[in-house]
Amino acid sequence: MNAGPVSRAAVEITAVLARWVLGGAFVYMGLTKALDPAVFLKLLHQYHFANVPVLLNSVAGALPWFEVFCGLLLVAGIAVRGTALILGLMLVPFTFLVVQRALGIASAQGLPFCAVKFDCGCGTGAVWICHKVLENCVLFLLACFLLTGRGRRLCVRFSLLERT
Amino acid sequence: MRHILLEALLVAVVGAFLAFAANALSPRGLKLSRNFFPPAPSPATGGSLADGLKPVASSTNSLSATESLVIRLRQQGLQLINSNKVAELFRDPRIEQGLVIFIDARDEAHYQSGHVPGAHEFDYYHAENYLATVLPACQGAQEIVVYCDGGTCEDSELAATFLLSANVPKEKLLVYGGGFSEWTNNRMPIEIGPRKSSQMRQAK
Repeated sequence: MNAGPVSRAAVEITAVLARWVLGGAFVYMGLTKALDPAVFLKLLHQYHFANVPVLLNSVAGALPWFEVFCGLLLVAGIAVRGTALILGLMLVPFTFLVVQRALGIASAQGLPFCAVKFDCGCGTGAVWICHKVLENCVLFLLACFLLTGRGRRLCVRFSLLERT
Repeated sequence: MRHILLEALLVAVVGAFLAFAANALSPRGLKLSRNFFPPAPSPATGGSLADGLKPVASSTNSLSATESLVIRLRQQGLQLINSNKVAELFRDPRIEQGLVIFIDARDEAHYQSGHVPGAHEFDYYHAENYLATVLPACQGAQEIVVYCDGGTCEDSELAATFLLSANVPKEKLLVYGGGFSEWTNNRMPIEIGPRKSSQMRQAK
């Protein structure tokens, strides 16, 4: 029995689902922030990562829409690997900042790390930090999986630069 | 790999352009040039500050949020008032003549769902939309109560500071630290919808 085509099909379907999950997650998280950027701005301000107002305001005002844009590209299957690379790279500093803030809260309140719950500004409201880290790791792995070039089915234009 | 990097760069450039455009076009968009969190001024020499306090708009480990708020407001010549004073001002007959006014520093959705009766809407993060009505009201008032949600909400403080920078005399500005949460908990009257809609609801 030849399992090759079956497993290849399974991998392709998994990759398509990965595209939709990763893209859908960013569309959702981006939209909740884009529709009320002032709330996102206040949350970002608590991270103290930017002292220059225009930089802080740019991240608060534009980043959510950028997330929506990238999420929609993935859902539609456009520039899949480039978009996955961007989202994967974005998840690294996001997760680092969230963990750093959680460590600060844990230290200030004398809590175990996983008992920390706060609104990290990710667009999903207050979250348990360990759940958020796990979620971000899963999303990062999905992005890495998409970088392998699988999931070309149901794509509008998988690659912008390669000949189809 | 080079294709992927170029593709990522293209997505990033186009995405950034569209994102900034969307922010500019969105009615909820943010003004990029505005400093929404101006630093608190340096404290005057001597006075009531404890040793080692930083004159910035953030709590320290050794102070409660209220204590920090009082200090920051004092640094700017502003006053923090409690629920008794707020209730007294709400019942002051001068409110009918606009000599006592309330300013709600929360966003539109929160304002519409319930506010102090007669309070002026003033979403601090979109202040430019409200200045035409709020500033004249402030200039005509003798006492101005600014509030937001209360607790850790700093929007009332930021809004009061903003009004101060718009030449509203600091003697008039009173920050209600307990905010709308405390107003509601005290079962005070709540108006819903637009200002002076006369639609009231009961605090739960």
